[in-house]
Amino acid sequence: MPAYIARRLLWMVAVLVAVTFITFIIFYLLPAVEPAALRAGKTPSPALLAHIRQTLGLQRPWYDQYLHFLDRLLFHLDLGYSYQYDISVRSALAERLPATISLTLGAALLWLAGALALGTLAALRRHSLLDRLVGALTLLGISAPVYWLALLALFLFADVTGKLHLLPGAGSYVPISEEPLQWLESLVLPWLVLAISLGAFYARLLRANLTEVLAEPYIRTARAKGISQAQVLLRHALRPALTPFLTAAGMDIALLLGGAILTETAFNIPGIGRLLYEAVLNGDLPMIQGTVLVGAIFIVVMNAIVDLLYVWLDPRVRLA
Amino acid sequence: MSAHVRVPAAALLTRGCALALISALLVAGCGTSTGKIAGRSGGTVTVLEVNGGVDSLDPGFWYYQTDYTDLAQTTQRWLYGWRARSLTPVPDLATAMPALSDGGRTLTIHIRSGIHYSPPLAARTVSSADIKYAIERCFLASVGNGYAFDYYGEIEGAPHEPVSHLVNIPGIRAPNATTLVIHTSVPVGVLDDADALALPCTAPVPQSYAERFDRGAQSTYGEHQLFTGPYMIAGAGSGTVPHSSYAPGRLLALERNRSWRRESDPIRSAYFNAIIFRGGYSKTVASREVLEGTSLMSGDFTAPPPAILAEALSSRRSQLYITPAQATRYISLNTRVKPLDNVDVRRAIGAVIDRSALLRLIGGPTLGAIATHFLAPEMPGFNVAGGYRGPGYDFLSHPEGDLALAQHYMRLAGYRRGRYEGPPLSAVAADEAPQKNVAEAIQSQLAQIGINLELHEVPHTTMLTKYCTVPKAHIAICPNLSWGKDFFDSQSMIAPIFDGNLIQEQANTDTSLADNPAYNAQIEAAKEVIGERARAQAWGRLDRELTAEAYVIPWLWENQVSFASANVKGVPWAFNGGAWDLTASSLK
Repeated sequence: MPAYIARRLLWMVAVLVAVTFITFIIFYLLPAVEPAALRAGKTPSPALLAHIRQTLGLQRPWYDQYLHFLDRLLFHLDLGYSYQYDISVRSALAERLPATISLTLGAALLWLAGALALGTLAALRRHSLLDRLVGALTLLGISAPVYWLALLALFLFADVTGKLHLLPGAGSYVPISEEPLQWLESLVLPWLVLAISLGAFYARLLRANLTEVLAEPYIRTARAKGISQAQVLLRHALRPALTPFLTAAGMDIALLLGGAILTETAFNIPGIGRLLYEAVLNGDLPMIQGTVLVGAIFIVVMNAIVDLLYVWLDPRVRLA
Repeated sequence: MSAHVRVPAAALLTRGCALALISALLVAGCGTSTGKIAGRSGGTVTVLEVNGGVDSLDPGFWYYQTDYTDLAQTTQRWLYGWRARSLTPVPDLATAMPALSDGGRTLTIHIRSGIHYSPPLAARTVSSADIKYAIERCFLASVGNGYAFDYYGEIEGAPHEPVSHLVNIPGIRAPNATTLVIHTSVPVGVLDDADALALPCTAPVPQSYAERFDRGAQSTYGEHQLFTGPYMIAGAGSGTVPHSSYAPGRLLALERNRSWRRESDPIRSAYFNAIIFRGGYSKTVASREVLEGTSLMSGDFTAPPPAILAEALSSRRSQLYITPAQATRYISLNTRVKPLDNVDVRRAIGAVIDRSALLRLIGGPTLGAIATHFLAPEMPGFNVAGGYRGPGYDFLSHPEGDLALAQHYMRLAGYRRGRYEGPPLSAVAADEAPQKNVAEAIQSQLAQIGINLELHEVPHTTMLTKYCTVPKAHIAICPNLSWGKDFFDSQSMIAPIFDGNLIQEQANTDTSLADNPAYNAQIEAAKEVIGERARAQAWGRLDRELTAEAYVIPWLWENQVSFASANVKGVPWAFNGGAWDLTASSLK
């Protein structure tokens, strides 16, 4: 196990360096905007543009720029300064990360719990009315774009724009450290929207896997031995059925931690996704690079965690 | 390319409609005997923003509409300023308009005494030396000002390029604490009429306090600034702007500046107790919240989305404030790309464009008037150039387009069949609606005269910084450009777009690459003209002549549609293209 973890850690570092290189190539060598012009204002003189290029180090060879970037990143955890806001990218990410984590983990809890319950019930009562109802509802959840769901939630339930004035709407997020109750209230709608959108897929996935596993000969054997239905389900069926469920959940949670762009934008939650959206709109290259890197870190870390969980869930899996 | 107007808008406003609108504004704007607009003191207003809010906290950097609305008018006083309705500057820190001598090359300005800074320097009063330093620091590369070289470049001894260390400009003198003398090498009209002195570079900055922040590659004065206006960034009295009051793109909180005195300020009333700017909204959600909520105002965007606007026009009309934005939207034709080097081809393009259709695409008549020349309504020289009717050029006289006339011009250009038969021309447009719809409509309209466009749709910032303002990109047609004034002097609209002397490799504003020595000379001459009427004549005449050349095809004079909750009395700020004057607005 320690050798496996060490190998994974090395691999993670290699992947992250590759990600920084690719994003650097894309955003520094083939920029979608001219950084100096972006930063210079409306009618800058050529001299001002040249000065800004020098300040940003854009006149240096690309490899020099990349090595400088890598040096700052690895030895100083410095991701540079935002072109648009002229603030440290690292501090902007640190400021935004709690909101994204709050949104993702709360939503994940809801969608995983909901999908576990609905998927299991539907698998156990195949072809029943309940199964059909779950099928219809999950199809609806999968079909509805998350942004549309978010606007619908705001226009139905939000306190200013909604018809029912039930919960705080867009822009109401506050950090948990400031107002815990308002933090909770402000996240209920975004959590529900994300949970409906993602949970629907997971419920269907689990139903399909569980149905397949329940038809396996070893399940019949277990039942023949007189093991209770609950034990069959919990000890023998659910664990192998959860393997693909877990893979998908790991990736989705990692992606959302890297920025739930649409949900954060609709609800004006100041998270990483909203930051990335603004950075792309404004061609703010250092900020784009920082948010991409954060997303990549979450993906490789979650990948490793999922691999370790496989072993726990399914003893047939061995770490190579 | 937009100046103050960062977020495009548009639509047709007939002449009568516009006049009615202006009259209504003048009536509604009847204010107090001091020229200020009456309102009720107290309360907090929240402004919802969509596009990132202010660019910088530094007065030396402020340039765009949002900078002016959020910070410039609210937190600083300038040498000269702009009342909500006024189209000419009025003394703010100055006691009177500049006294001119030496043929307009020397300006003597007296400033008020007893104007205090905010804490931590509340005991200190503003002196003329502070304004001298404020202007000088605008030439610092670390400040990154975008207009100092254009408007202050003729002051004697002014640097001609950004400097890394402060340069003493001998042409600006502060002989005593309340007198400022500016000497220029040639008469500069925009200084003499105080237009260019009514910009935030003249907001006072005390050198002894600020110079430590101005050293280094990037000035940090903005985060430690002193305020002279009615508001200050909340908590900044400690000497540093706290994170709890300013989070870029997300939050800006203003509180009252206790050092400010209403009776000493001829411009601002400052009715609100506090102003909060909240960013990060989508336009749809922000628009709905503002219209349906309380104590909310629209922020850094031009109008609600079309569906919400239509609904508001029928049911919440009193919450909308529609004003001319003094900005012109136009199609830029690269005169160095064949066949656009031929004036008749350019006129044919002007003739075939269905500007009415473009207007409908972007949302209809609420958002602007069909343009017939470049200078926008309310700009000096607008009437000289023909007013709403325009100079009378046939190729701009048919809002729905005139194919026969366009073909006639193509034949004049040597295309006997009235159609261009060469290869497609490159065009770059923004990839978001409604700009992309406009570009695609123009593409299909030009196809009628054989001009096929290879249209590339890219993000707005990419369109500007990589293509349309970069001559070596050789883009033939840029259909999504817009230009707004810096102040009510038409030099700020005409010169950047048509002066061939200003063409540069990057961030080039003369996107058509118009470079006619005769016009360049006329523009230089017009810059030196002194006197409001004479300047209007000079720039209006130039507008007529440049419009005839069809370097660009103006198609819309933009409106700003600001809106507020029902309990807010919003006051649009004419100088700032109809965005709010938050020092004149109030709760009902």
